[in-house]
Amino acid sequence: MIRFDAVTKRYGPRAAVDAVSLEVRARRICVLLGESGSGKSTLMRMVNRLVEPDSGRIMLDGRDIAGVPPEALRHGIGYVIQSVGLFPHWRVAQNVATVPRLLGWEDARVAARVDALLDLVGLPPDRFRDRLPHELSGGQAQRVGLARALAADPPVLLMDEPFSALDPGIRRELQGALRDIHAGTDKTILFVTHDVEEALLLADELAVMQDGRLIAHGRPGEVLARDAGPAVRHLFGEQTLAFHRLGTLPAAGAARPGEAAAAPLLPEGATLKQALMLMLEHGTDQLAMPGGGALHLSDILAAA
Amino acid sequence: MAEARSRLLTDAAATPSPAVAIPREATAAALLAALAAVLPFLLGWLSVAPNRLVSPRPVALPMAAAALPLGLFLLCCLGVALLARRRALLPWAEAVAGLALLALLATLGLGAGAALEGASRLARVAPGAGVWFSALALLLAGGCCAAGRGRMADATPTRFLAVALPGLALLVASGLLDPLSLLKEAAQRGPELRLALLRHAVLAAGALTLAAAVAVPLSLLALRRPRLEAALMTLANGLQVVPSIALFGLLMAPLAGLAAMWPPLRAAGIGGIGAAPAVIGIAAYLLLPLAAGMLAGLRQAPPELIDAARGQGMNERAILRHLRVPLGLGAMLGGLRVAAVQAVGLATLAALVGAGGLGAIVFQGIGQLAADLILLGVLPVVALSLCVDALLAAAQRLLMPPGTRA
Amino acid sequence: MRLSRRAAGVLAQALAFLLALWAAPHLGWLWGGLFPEVQRPVWDQRNWFALLGSHLLLSLGAAAVAAVLGLAGGILATRQSGRRLRPLLDALFSLAQAVPPIAVIALALPALGFGAAPTLLALVLYACLPVLRGAVAGLDGVPPGVLDAARGIGMGPWRGLTQIEMPLALPVVLSSLRLAVVLSIATAAVGAMAGAECLGTPIVVGLANNNGAYVLQGGLFTAWLALLADRALALLLPARR
Repeated sequence: MIRFDAVTKRYGPRAAVDAVSLEVRARRICVLLGESGSGKSTLMRMVNRLVEPDSGRIMLDGRDIAGVPPEALRHGIGYVIQSVGLFPHWRVAQNVATVPRLLGWEDARVAARVDALLDLVGLPPDRFRDRLPHELSGGQAQRVGLARALAADPPVLLMDEPFSALDPGIRRELQGALRDIHAGTDKTILFVTHDVEEALLLADELAVMQDGRLIAHGRPGEVLARDAGPAVRHLFGEQTLAFHRLGTLPAAGAARPGEAAAAPLLPEGATLKQALMLMLEHGTDQLAMPGGGALHLSDILAAA
Repeated sequence: MAEARSRLLTDAAATPSPAVAIPREATAAALLAALAAVLPFLLGWLSVAPNRLVSPRPVALPMAAAALPLGLFLLCCLGVALLARRRALLPWAEAVAGLALLALLATLGLGAGAALEGASRLARVAPGAGVWFSALALLLAGGCCAAGRGRMADATPTRFLAVALPGLALLVASGLLDPLSLLKEAAQRGPELRLALLRHAVLAAGALTLAAAVAVPLSLLALRRPRLEAALMTLANGLQVVPSIALFGLLMAPLAGLAAMWPPLRAAGIGGIGAAPAVIGIAAYLLLPLAAGMLAGLRQAPPELIDAARGQGMNERAILRHLRVPLGLGAMLGGLRVAAVQAVGLATLAALVGAGGLGAIVFQGIGQLAADLILLGVLPVVALSLCVDALLAAAQRLLMPPGTRA
Repeated sequence: MRLSRRAAGVLAQALAFLLALWAAPHLGWLWGGLFPEVQRPVWDQRNWFALLGSHLLLSLGAAAVAAVLGLAGGILATRQSGRRLRPLLDALFSLAQAVPPIAVIALALPALGFGAAPTLLALVLYACLPVLRGAVAGLDGVPPGVLDAARGIGMGPWRGLTQIEMPLALPVVLSSLRLAVVLSIATAAVGAMAGAECLGTPIVVGLANNNGAYVLQGGLFTAWLALLADRALALLLPARR
């Protein structure tokens, strides 16, 4: 869906993005993870041409974006940023309707779309439609930001640290909401963050950047494999890498046949990390798998 | 009298600490109201001169003749101090300060009439120093109350003026103030004064239009061209240090030369003397507030908002129309306001290059050291400035889009 | 090293200014060439240096008084106990912005008479405003966390003011002082109309006698002096970047 071909962007002598090639497949959430200054935002902002690459090519759905006028390109790409960027003098409904209006939709269609989107992001339209941005909490504002990005039903969504400024509880709520919305709408999402937990929670694919270069790319489990390079180890933390890796592995894959009588039952679809947590909580070294089978502590150690 | 005074003073002193919802403005407003009530008694209500050539002496206010408005005046002063103690009532305090000014003037007019009874027809009576300072204190008290209302540290007493100016017009029309020498002078020069006022307004408006025609397009161009912006601001700043009287004078020579070289200009009324150098000279000083206000306004929308707008696919024109202009309107109008007020003030100096306006009356007065004549020129300038300032301040408040006022 | 080079530059400009002032009476050919119709284009009614001296005395004196008043007012208005003064200051600002200096001079004339006094009054009033505004803005701009920390380590109000607040507010205060000096030098010329002797005197005499050469000389030297003061005071400010 999105393909970067040897894309480079320089600011003075420093390369913010250095010959990055990356393919983001359709209907996936690809998380660009890296520390600040690693070039992840710059890479993302080249997709909607807010930044123009010095060399290299970016293909969107098979088309070179250099040939698409920036405004038209952006109408087809949702964009969500950390500061939300709601227009302070416009009501919520107007804000959500920004792109449909730019595209010249009829009023009735715009109004229906706004209400549907507010419902989708969990804000009852009756209560929120006519509010001004300063009357919203941070979480509500970012929900409106998400609705605005989805307004014209773009196939691609770019999200630049959208939840970083929110409190942890609200952040987890919105991460859940984003997963649900993604499951229901099949968007391709490029998501930039520096938060390791958030990246692992959301990512179908993980792309790790450092000093403008792509240093690892793949499914989270692959990126966190035992042979991960020093840069990845540093980013995820030497001591916690294995723990994070457990979070990428499904418990079902490590279970053994047999029964674990009187052991706590692991929920459906749990990861090895959740399994370990459950063992720690109950002070046991065995868990019962849903639908039969058992998981021993030694299985977890073997899988990690 | 002393009783009212002491009540007002203790009132101001005894204002308790902010635990109760007494607005911060209460102290200053009460203090000024007390000063306004006391000053005429301390520094004099009236000064009378037997004729125009003798310097005036202070005289006591004939209390009996002016008892009613005097009582109203003191009541209004007390009212300002009391009303200012509730935030919700501050606008009323401001209006009552305007009422106090009118009562002060009515007292003055009736007192002056009584003081002139039995005096020779040549005798002239003018307001004493106390009255002037009292009026100033009331104006400031109005400003203080307005400061409590605005969130922009903006203390333009719009309501005060809305009460005081029409009231003043009524007082003048009723003839109550006729005994004052200033009004006699004004009556003598009625048509001249009206013409000067009109001309003054036309000069200021013309200069403002000219400056805006230069500053607005240049600011729009300079928004994304740092070198043009630097050049524009250097020019606008540099012009500020040229003494205004010199700039007007210096424009006379080249304009006269231009008119001589190109007669159609002269036919259009442009030449070395008169309105042309004045309007161009005033406009030169207005470039700075206008351009600075425009640029500040255009940059009011924060960069991440512009980024979000671009990300949605808005083009520069749409960003200008939907974001930069509505969000920057306040700052732009602020620049316009400063410029308009400066234009009114600078137009006073236009008389130096033969452009007329109220300055002509002021300079006549300075030449003859005639206080009444100076006042006759200066007071309309001040009133015009205050009006322009208050009107544009009100517009600023009204036109700010919701959600951007906080 | 950079500062001393800038200082040398300002010194050179000041010397050029003084040289031009000395040379002005000897440049009859220049003034005559610019204003051929003027019969006596060379200003000789009063020595330029005397005019410069009184101009500086008038404007710098006013700026000094204004600095003291403005700073004191600004400090007072930012103290906890002085916050009630703020509305009064706001009201004064609004009023002063709406009343032009020439109006103040003209109004003060009958009371104070011709000469420097009404001009001094107007200059002090108008130079006060930027200083006051700068002091208030600078002191308000000190982060509350810093003040809290100062109190927390046991600094009293006076030490907090002199050792923490003033140094932090200094850049804003200094740039407002610079503005006050430059404005009062430029505005002092108007005082010539009230009979104050200064570099504006040739302008007023020139306007009265239709002598453009006088106007040019007075205007030139006043603007030059103001720009020179602006440059010189920029040396006091910490270099940007």
